[in-house]
Amino acid sequence: MPYLGSEDAVKELKKALCNPHVQADRLRYRNVIQRVIRHMTQGVDMSGVFMEMVKASATVDIVQKKLVYLYMCTYAPLKPDLALLAINTLCKDCSDPNPMVRGLALRSMCSLRMPGVQEYIQQPILNGLRDKASYVRRVAVLGCAKMHNLHGDSEVDGALVNELYSLLRDQDPIVVVNCLRSLEEILKQEGGVVINKPIAHHLLNRMSKLDQWGQAEVLNFLLRYQPRSEEELFDILNLLDSFLKSSSPSVVMGAAKLFLILAKKFPHVQTDVLMQVKGPLLAACSSESRELCFAALCHVRQILHSLPGHFSSHYKKFFCSYSEPHYIKLQKVEVLCELVNDENVQQVLEELRGYCTDVSADFAQAAILAIGGIARTYTDQCVQILTELLELRQEHITTVVVQTFRDLVWLCPQCTEAVCQALPGCEENIQDSEGKQALIWLLGVHGERIPNAPYVLEDFVENVKSETFPAVKMELLTALLRLFLSRPAECQDMLGRLLHYCIEEEKDMAVRDRGLFYYRLLLAGIDEVKRILCSPKSDPSLGLLEDQAERPVNSWALDFNTLVPVYGKARWATISKCQGAERRGLELPNTASLAASGPLIPEEDKERVQELSDSGALMLVPNLQLTAEYFEKTWLSLQVAHQQVVPWQGAVHPDTLQMALQVVNIQTIAVSRAGAQPWKAYLSAQDDTGCLFLTELLLEPENLEMQISVKQSEARTETLSSFISVLETVIGTIGDIKP
Amino acid sequence: AGVRPLSFPQGRRRKRRRRRRRPAPGPPAATMSASAVFILDVKGKPLISRNYKGDVAMSEIEHFMPLLMQREEEGALTPLLSHGRVHFLWIKYSNLYLVATTLKNANASLVYSFLYKTVEVFSEYFKELEEESIRDNFVIVYELLDELMDFGFPQTTDSKILQEYITQQGNKLETGKSRVPPTVTNAVSWRSEGIKYKKNEVFIDVIESVNLLPSCPCVHPQVNANGSVLLSEIVGTIKLKVFLSGMPELRLGLNDRVLFELTGRNKNKSVELEDVKFHQCVRLSRFDNDRTISFIPPDGDFELMSYRLSTQVKPLIWIESVIEKFSHSRVEIMVKAKGQFKKQSVANGVEISVPVPSDADSPRFKTSVGSAKYVPEKNIVIWSIKSFPGGKEYLMRAHFGLPSVEKEEEEGRPPIGVKFEIPYFTVSGIQVRYMKIIEKSGYQALPWVRYITQSGDYQLRTS
Repeated sequence: MPYLGSEDAVKELKKALCNPHVQADRLRYRNVIQRVIRHMTQGVDMSGVFMEMVKASATVDIVQKKLVYLYMCTYAPLKPDLALLAINTLCKDCSDPNPMVRGLALRSMCSLRMPGVQEYIQQPILNGLRDKASYVRRVAVLGCAKMHNLHGDSEVDGALVNELYSLLRDQDPIVVVNCLRSLEEILKQEGGVVINKPIAHHLLNRMSKLDQWGQAEVLNFLLRYQPRSEEELFDILNLLDSFLKSSSPSVVMGAAKLFLILAKKFPHVQTDVLMQVKGPLLAACSSESRELCFAALCHVRQILHSLPGHFSSHYKKFFCSYSEPHYIKLQKVEVLCELVNDENVQQVLEELRGYCTDVSADFAQAAILAIGGIARTYTDQCVQILTELLELRQEHITTVVVQTFRDLVWLCPQCTEAVCQALPGCEENIQDSEGKQALIWLLGVHGERIPNAPYVLEDFVENVKSETFPAVKMELLTALLRLFLSRPAECQDMLGRLLHYCIEEEKDMAVRDRGLFYYRLLLAGIDEVKRILCSPKSDPSLGLLEDQAERPVNSWALDFNTLVPVYGKARWATISKCQGAERRGLELPNTASLAASGPLIPEEDKERVQELSDSGALMLVPNLQLTAEYFEKTWLSLQVAHQQVVPWQGAVHPDTLQMALQVVNIQTIAVSRAGAQPWKAYLSAQDDTGCLFLTELLLEPENLEMQISVKQSEARTETLSSFISVLETVIGTIGDIKP
Repeated sequence: AGVRPLSFPQGRRRKRRRRRRRPAPGPPAATMSASAVFILDVKGKPLISRNYKGDVAMSEIEHFMPLLMQREEEGALTPLLSHGRVHFLWIKYSNLYLVATTLKNANASLVYSFLYKTVEVFSEYFKELEEESIRDNFVIVYELLDELMDFGFPQTTDSKILQEYITQQGNKLETGKSRVPPTVTNAVSWRSEGIKYKKNEVFIDVIESVNLLPSCPCVHPQVNANGSVLLSEIVGTIKLKVFLSGMPELRLGLNDRVLFELTGRNKNKSVELEDVKFHQCVRLSRFDNDRTISFIPPDGDFELMSYRLSTQVKPLIWIESVIEKFSHSRVEIMVKAKGQFKKQSVANGVEISVPVPSDADSPRFKTSVGSAKYVPEKNIVIWSIKSFPGGKEYLMRAHFGLPSVEKEEEEGRPPIGVKFEIPYFTVSGIQVRYMKIIEKSGYQALPWVRYITQSGDYQLRTS
């Protein structure tokens, strides 16, 4: 075919469609129509031949009919007037003796998506619902939802809804499932289709007749149903038992979710269910379909949050193979990091060590970070592996290892000696900002144990003019001043040079201010400097607590088998935030987080907090002295009494927060350094009756929500809720007055 | 039968009100529903698409490819992307992207399963699913997309049923009206009525695939040398090819350990199966009660069941390799293969693929049996051995030249892959004890059984 511009093509096809000779020859006619569709598929605007195509719909050739209807559905919104002309043919086809034609016409008519079509489709849909062919009924049932969508926000048609409810008894399994889907769509505003006892039991009985899509769908709808008694609950679980072993991974996941939700008050049942789906999940993790494998791995991680030992004996299943895509490898490394235990640690570490030298830098770095994570429990082995990695003198490896070391000595001070011995020589293989900052921090804080620390820092001072990252300069200032305190003779001269440079030549205001601040601090005398700069060098209690942060199954059961675990919680939070207020308004009105996100007026806050603590039954004791050890012991022995998230923007300023909490008599036990990711804090408070409130604040890397978990030494809901409102107010205030 | 009468219309509203006063019972059911499905070429240009719901602008797909590239660059590519309110769930198949868009917090594995089902259906229609076959068959693709899904919900996805009313012959002129196949309305959705064969037969294939669980060679080199630390995992499937008339009732008997224990038989010759999964046609309740596998089969080919073996065995073909790379001059490869299965059995079509550097040249080979071939486009040497009896040990040596100027890029360490097939043999010792076929017309039907063990994901790392 010669190349034609789209206008020429339309003209030519129009001519052909009108040509009576073409129309008389069915084969030629159909070929012309196929060419129209081909152009349409390629994105050429073919709306110009609408009239001619409408005429072509009057044919006995069913394939031609399909093509014409497809065309009409595509262009009807552009040509609503002309489309109305086609309605007649469509209506006639809706009473064709051939059920295929009836179904096709009805489906197309309902998909026209143009104003004014509703009045024409109502009757055919009602006829379709009572059609003797199930093929037509399937189409008609979904047609009801399409019609409702066309109407927009209009009244729900009660008679139609009743008809759909009664069609749940239809013989055809797809009609039944379509009914549920359609009702859900129509009753969206009222909370969706109602699953009462007769419906629930009816659906349960039909389950085995449904295909995998239907089964997954019904399992999802059954989440709505709350069994009346324990007996009924277990009857339902027994009926559904076999679906936990379905050959379709989506049915397995759907069944698992239903079990977890229905059995939310029976932790042993939940554990048992997770045991049962272990096999199918593992099978899905080595599925040929990489995407299903990925989804399964995400859910394995979710389960591991609550049951850390759950997959430990199957650790080999999570070893990466050469040809797997990146996203699977990264998930597997995360899983390995979480399932490690005394028996498999040796093998897992050997495996991870192999990944550290992978050609893909991203993958290698993920493996190093994973070893860093395992190091919190198995410190010596991991530090040894990490040290050996430094010998490779690879830039991308060295920088991540040093960052891992920095985080590690903060949590596990016992490894400081080994880390200090490994550091010399690293500076030659670090070029990026993050790596330099980590190295300089280590040299500053632990410089007294590293013989050549001053000389390494001196190199940085020499090259400070060509340093591009302000953050590195800031870190350098602090580190050098710290080192000056322990090794003054070696540092004095270069400290002078650095301060001079920062004050006289530096263009970045933050660096310059920091330089000036230190200069004035030095003028105030060395004791003053020590008082300000000598903060703790580690916080082991934070590490211990972090390891124990197991989440109860119920905290994620509702998100199971949705997009949430597949995106990851943090990323999901970002996405749902981006998706705007209108959706949030629809989905969240009943959850507690709305109360927390209500606006507060900053000036009145302090009084409000006082008021709250005065007026409620809650009186927090001032100056409560609690040791970190006692806190830890109590924390581990208690269950989470309340958990919620409040919105949060940006990083946390621990000092401000600590001060604000002090005002309302909440003590800070342990806190991450500013900017750590994830950032955590542990708080304690006691009321006048001696009841302890232990709190964990958790800010995930995305920095969008602060998760608050509160444990209480005596279960009393009134005081708990007043404590939480105090805490919320403080956090809300801090969030608002950030600089 | 067995369905209790339902009563709603009056009770419904009252109940709903009561329900709404309760604290929210849960989130809205996150049902699967795709707003639209796209098939894109390798550059991200839409080849064909179907707008099912009309709630997402079709132009949204233009964001897909840039997003994918950006994520790939960041090293954070996943099969789930989002742009604004739209989620893209995508799979890649040969040179095509299949993308579903949705606004709902949908069920990810269900959407992926649906996209793979679509691939499966298309593949059965066009043999090879690729850009060309989509372009050449766009009419059928439209027809199929129309039947597979309606309003974003999966409808008829069984390709056997679809083939009854959407045919490639449909492209030829057909004046007679196409009929609705009875299956579309049947109670047994996977089998049509009125199927007739002159000769009634069933072919049963018992296939066990051997996967090799990876392990780091440096952990226990001394134990590894004799191949006992690396363990394999066996995944079995039983596939049926059914040529039976009417609506037959089939019953399959296996030497299942649980069944033998139930009936008090000697369990020495039985097999313990784990994670057993069945085709939809099998009556699960009967299996749960008395381990009977009974079903009305679909017509033609299908997979009846799959299982995993709990016992781990040593690798059937063990490979030892030494790959010595002398920079700027040559690579020398020595591979030893050993059959670690019964002497009476023979592995057929053994193919051992050994990785070589991408800049290697002038290959030379020496093999004790079989032949070796260099495949430069894949950077591997394939050593093929037609028949490899159990207990035997063979050797291959290869020599490659390397250019004096080394290339910049670092290369990964691809594993050695092994393909093989051992007929008349199963690792588990599973046996089909009987296959009973009962049809009301009372015909005699013959079952045929075949056992095969083959390589699955069978790769060994090189150090």
